Order: sequence, then C-alpha cells, then structure tokens
Amino acid sequence: MSARDVIQNIQDKFKRKEPLSDEVVEGFLRVLEKTRTEDVTCKEVFQQLDEYVEKEVDGKDAARLMPLLREHLDICSDCCDEYEALLDVIEKSTDKQ
Amino acid sequence: MTTRSNESWLSDLRSDGLLREAALSDLRSVIQHGLPYALSRWLSPNDPLFTPLVEEVTQETLLRVLDQLDGFEGRSMFTTWVHKIAIRIALTELRRKRWQDSSLDELMDNEESPAPSNLVADHHPTPEAAAERSDMMERVRRILEQELTPKQREALTLLGIQDMPLEEAAKRMKTNRNALYKLLHDARLRLKRRLAMEGLTSQEVLSAFEQK
Repeated sequence: MSARDVIQNIQDKFKRKEPLSDEVVEGFLRVLEKTRTEDVTCKEVFQQLDEYVEKEVDGKDAARLMPLLREHLDICSDCCDEYEALLDVIEKSTDKQ
Repeated sequence: MTTRSNESWLSDLRSDGLLREAALSDLRSVIQHGLPYALSRWLSPNDPLFTPLVEEVTQETLLRVLDQLDGFEGRSMFTTWVHKIAIRIALTELRRKRWQDSSLDELMDNEESPAPSNLVADHHPTPEAAAERSDMMERVRRILEQELTPKQREALTLLGIQDMPLEEAAKRMKTNRNALYKLLHDARLRLKRRLAMEGLTSQEVLSAFEQK
C-alpha cells in the first residue's frame, strides 16, 4: 500500500460519520428539557456537595436553597452517582457510628 | 475513637507526633466505615474486588485529604468532606476498572440495540403516530448534525454508548469531566435556541415521540 493510500485510509476513517442513533437523540432531548442558561459545572458541584447533602439530611429543603446544584444533579449522572453515594454514607453510617 | 470538632481535626492533622497519628488512625476508621455504604450500589462486600478497593481508596483519600487540608472551608462537617473525597476516588476507580479494557470499536460492536423505551412503544402505534415520530426524529437529527461541533458530536456519540460515564468519555477525548460538561452544556443551549427558532420546544418534540 502506497503512502498516498495510507493517508487516504486515515482521512476516510475520520470522515466516516455514523448517524446519531435514536437513543442518543432522545437522551439529548430529555436533558434539554432540564437545561437552563445559568448553570454550575461538575467542579462547582463537587465543591458544594457535602454542604448540600448535609442540608438534605438535616431536613432542610436543599433543592430550594441550592437550586442550580439540584438541576445539575438531574442532568449529570456522574455527579448524581456521587451525590447518592454521599447521601447513603451520611444517612446510614451516622446512625450506626 | 475520639470525637472531634472540625477545628480539632484540622489542628490534630496538622500537628506532629502522637496527636497526628491518632487523628490519622481515626480518619482511616471513618473512611472505612463509610465506604461500604458508598459502594453499596456498585459492589457487594463479598466481591473479591471489595477489600482491596477499600484499602486502596482509603490510602489515596488520606493522602489527598492531607494535601488539601487548606481547601476545607468548613461548610460541612470535616468527616462529610472526607467522605466526599473518598467517594470521588472510589467511583473514579470503579469506572476506570469497568471501562479500561474496552476499545471504542468493541463497545460499538457489542452494543445491543434495545428498543428505546419511548420511541418504540410496546403496543402498536397508529401509522400516523409512527410517521410523525419518524419525521420528528429525522428533523431533530438534522438539526443536531447542523448545530453540533465535531467535538460535541463526538461527546454525544460516546455518551450514547452503553451509558458511558462522563468521566470515561472525557478521558477518551483527552479532556476532563468539567470541560466536557461545559462542552455539552453549550451544545444543549445551542440546540435549545435552534429549536425555539423553529418554533419547537424539547417537550413538544418528546411528546411527539411518546404519543400513543
């Protein structure tokens, strides 16, 4: 195979575009409903997550007090996993310590 | 175990000698007491991976906590802050382990294509509803193709593969989770504006899909 063919192969590979699947389109639309212009990032959520979870465990309306963080958790599954794990630890381990 | 205020934790961990050793030992117990709850949705305590993971995460958490003591702002209990760090380390490690050996091609090949829950209903839609759904899907897909940057498209495609976590997609795109989240947020806002220009809301589009 000549160098020209190799380059062509590489270019073809990058040009090849599979259509976005129905699942991807639908998943994107679902998140879109919850997307607001104002937003916090994963980093900002991480900085405040301990405070948020403590408010919730203390029976305060954390979602109302920190609405942007709540909205982020509804959209971002990675952050939501961390939130649920922290909630489990604080709710369940504190009782038994 | 000694009960400590936030201030005591900080001062003991910053001290030398026995006070620090006792605080580190107590902190180790705190982390190891919390981790089984944190991991309960992910890994059974009977899994052979469980004990080594807990040990590894505990070590890494202690190091990171000591390194970041100045970053603790006192907005929560110190131990909650520590659990948060342990969870980030543990879940990052679990995601890494789960995805490390999978190349993108393998994932695409192995991906079964289950019927999307709302697009293909388990009953038989009327031909009109099916046609409307199909038209709407094509319209949205075309808008997405026009509006998304190549990076945004790549991110969406990756995240659509077997529910790949953001963190893993970010790693494969040689970026970080925070930057990828921002990239996706920009994409969402852009698409929202475009749908609005076309007189559509995401809710309307979704309800066309869900129409019985």
